[in-house]
Amino acid sequence: METTIIKRDGKKEAFSLEKIKSAIRKAFLSVGSFATDEVITNILCRINITNGTTVEDIQNQVEVALMSERYYAVAKSYMLYRQKHLEDREVRDKLQFLMDYCNAKNAASGSKFDSNANVENKNMATLIGELPKSNFIRLNRRMLTDRIKEMYGKEVSDRYINLLNNHYIYKNDETSLSNYCASITMYPWLISGTASIGGNSKAPTNLKSFCGGFINMVFMVSSMLSGACATPEFLMYMNYFIGLEFGDDYYHDADKVVDLSKKQRTLDKVITDYFEQIVYSINQPTGARNFQAVFWNISYYDSYYFNSLFEQFIFPNGSKPHWESLNWLQKRFMKWFNKERTKTILTFPVETMALLSENGDAKDKEYGDFTAEMYADGHSFFTYMSDNADSLSSCCRLRNEITDNGFSYTLGAGGVSTGSKSVLTINLNRCIQHAAKREMHYLFFLEEVVDLVHKVQMAYNENLKYMQEKGMLPLFDAGYINMSRQYLTIGVNGLVEAAESLGIEITDNPRYLEFVQQVLGLIESYNKKYRTKDVMFNCEMIPAENVGVKHAKWDKQDGFISKRDCYNSYFYIVEDESLNIVDKFRLHGHRYIEHLTGGSALHMNLDEHLSKQQYKQLLRVAVQEGCNYFTFNIPNTVCNSCGHIDKNNLQECPVCKSKDLDYLTRIIGYMKRVSNFSEKRQIEASQRHYATVSQL
Amino acid sequence: MLRFLSYNIVFQEVPAEVSLAINISNCPNGCKGCHSPYLQEDKGDILDESMIDALLVKYGDAVTCICFMGGDADPQTVERLSRYIRKSTDSQLKTAWYSGKARLQKNCSIANFDYLKLGPYVESLGGLDSSATNQHFYRIENGNLIDETFRFQKKKGSMALML
Repeated sequence: METTIIKRDGKKEAFSLEKIKSAIRKAFLSVGSFATDEVITNILCRINITNGTTVEDIQNQVEVALMSERYYAVAKSYMLYRQKHLEDREVRDKLQFLMDYCNAKNAASGSKFDSNANVENKNMATLIGELPKSNFIRLNRRMLTDRIKEMYGKEVSDRYINLLNNHYIYKNDETSLSNYCASITMYPWLISGTASIGGNSKAPTNLKSFCGGFINMVFMVSSMLSGACATPEFLMYMNYFIGLEFGDDYYHDADKVVDLSKKQRTLDKVITDYFEQIVYSINQPTGARNFQAVFWNISYYDSYYFNSLFEQFIFPNGSKPHWESLNWLQKRFMKWFNKERTKTILTFPVETMALLSENGDAKDKEYGDFTAEMYADGHSFFTYMSDNADSLSSCCRLRNEITDNGFSYTLGAGGVSTGSKSVLTINLNRCIQHAAKREMHYLFFLEEVVDLVHKVQMAYNENLKYMQEKGMLPLFDAGYINMSRQYLTIGVNGLVEAAESLGIEITDNPRYLEFVQQVLGLIESYNKKYRTKDVMFNCEMIPAENVGVKHAKWDKQDGFISKRDCYNSYFYIVEDESLNIVDKFRLHGHRYIEHLTGGSALHMNLDEHLSKQQYKQLLRVAVQEGCNYFTFNIPNTVCNSCGHIDKNNLQECPVCKSKDLDYLTRIIGYMKRVSNFSEKRQIEASQRHYATVSQL
Repeated sequence: MLRFLSYNIVFQEVPAEVSLAINISNCPNGCKGCHSPYLQEDKGDILDESMIDALLVKYGDAVTCICFMGGDADPQTVERLSRYIRKSTDSQLKTAWYSGKARLQKNCSIANFDYLKLGPYVESLGGLDSSATNQHFYRIENGNLIDETFRFQKKKGSMALML
């Protein structure tokens, strides 16, 4: 029978002795020598070819054979020849990727490694960002495995690569060198400008320099992070500068003309013009981030939250934050932003309203009312409710324990500086099915994986500390964020699918609850075990914008059961129509999220807006169920013909009657046109069940 | 005796309330063009005081209103259950009845409900959200029927007006 070998593209080909002979002859000729038949036979004697031997392996054998026969110069020439071809192949692959990218439907579908709807266009700038991603992955993996070997030995390092390559775990944001996301304290900037993080602007001194400087500062900070940048003090600082110029009680006279130019703007107009400058600037695509806009998050507070976070805060002039005016400014910004979103698509900031709860309702009645009013007005934002101000959700995903509510004259408010250094995700569906296939208890196998991911994260942390020692991380050095207050995050994905594979019904029932508590409780116990005074872990149900799709695909390919094409970050099945709205709050209630220390937001998808009273009742439902983090999602309609943006989910443009419509919804945490989602995510979005609020 | 096939949390049926709508079967009205013909058959679980208790345990704190969708074949039971809900929740929960009859059935009192929808579905006139509708939605206050049908007839896409 004829021997077949495997070519580089995976195709089979009949083995040809003549081809090897020819290659050997050419190698001899390239060093000015000649290979006689006897020489060739001696070399060939050392080569062993069977069915299925790869071309790469044959060439390796030729190399070894040449050296064994002591033709060192020839061997060297042969190796150089192979290396050159390898490089050519890499260039050819990159070129192919380039062509594919140019032909892809949109930027998120074209991206091979971490597709992302925050890139609206594909163009030269986004392509330049895509090309080196595979190199970053290799580099990151190498740095990490070197460190794991040093700390825990080669076996652990090999196991990591094995679990990674077999998709039991997934390293998030491996295409970036930077640490993940951060909620920053702006106090160091307020005191000394951007010099300490490598910029050249001085500390802001007035409203104008604050607004201009703030934009630059957010861009600089974001260029050193791979994820989001949250500025929970944005409005409080802005309020301080407005107060410096117009007095703390400025909000009483917002209608007064304060601009004496021909424009004769009122104070309100001056303030909203600054909102416009900041929000529009930050929503621009950014060169330093491969044409992505920066991910910018802000927070609003009720009076209780505000007090607990900032009661000790002191501005450089010795004054304290002024709640009454900030209260006005928060509401003004939110209303302005809601209205502005009917003019153009503005993704950022992602906003979170922080409310304290008491006796089953919002403790601050004014803010509970206002929150319901804004939802009823069609505004889209997150709400975080907690019965004590022990944590803050400063970002579209991350919940952070506030470990220190104090104030320092160099770093400002302690509570706001936090974030996640790195996320490493466990594909629960695969892990649990793997254990079942081997008739092992799933917790037994999962425990090994959980232990390993903690070790890997510890190694990542050491690499980050190394970077800091070498002066590569000015955000930490300048005190914007703090190495020991940033979390190492263990992500989970495919929880619902894992439970389904065990035959568990995905409703609020004892078996599902026990499963969720066991799995997430195991991770939390390891988070505690590995915690030191400098290292903290949390656990998060990751939004999985692109890995949710990948996991589903890989699991299917490898014969695991996966009932859908995308693993989501909810405790319920997204397309399940039998669960009502209260059931979904319940499935994101305290019993289920108890061990999710890093948070998970309930995205309550509704097909129509509700009234203020109804939203108020749903806030109560959230408190009663202990669902601390949620948003309401009503698809907004964008008309592709006339550009009209409508806060409702419509089938026809109310202005020009066109049916060529696009919809805005949250892909994960942030609002984007559905047509910007990657193709797989668009399918997932079309299957999301938007609860029909009416049966009429 | 009443039977029901499903329930859901709804927002449009009773304006400003978060309602648990109970879809009652065995509907005798047989309106042409009925949107839920499956409710015309007599099937489903029995809806009685113990079922109401179970639903209240599950959803009593989450909703502000219980809405009976149908039940015209046994109006006395609907009324009895409505009174039962008021009694067992200390009138914390409101009740609504979506009836397909043009008038409240005799022996029933509006005093036992907080909201009432009356009128069969007539295909050519449309439902509550149609301006030509024959149906009426009432809020009941101090023994008076206050017609609030207009609340359903807000045009879709009116968010701009509400802003």
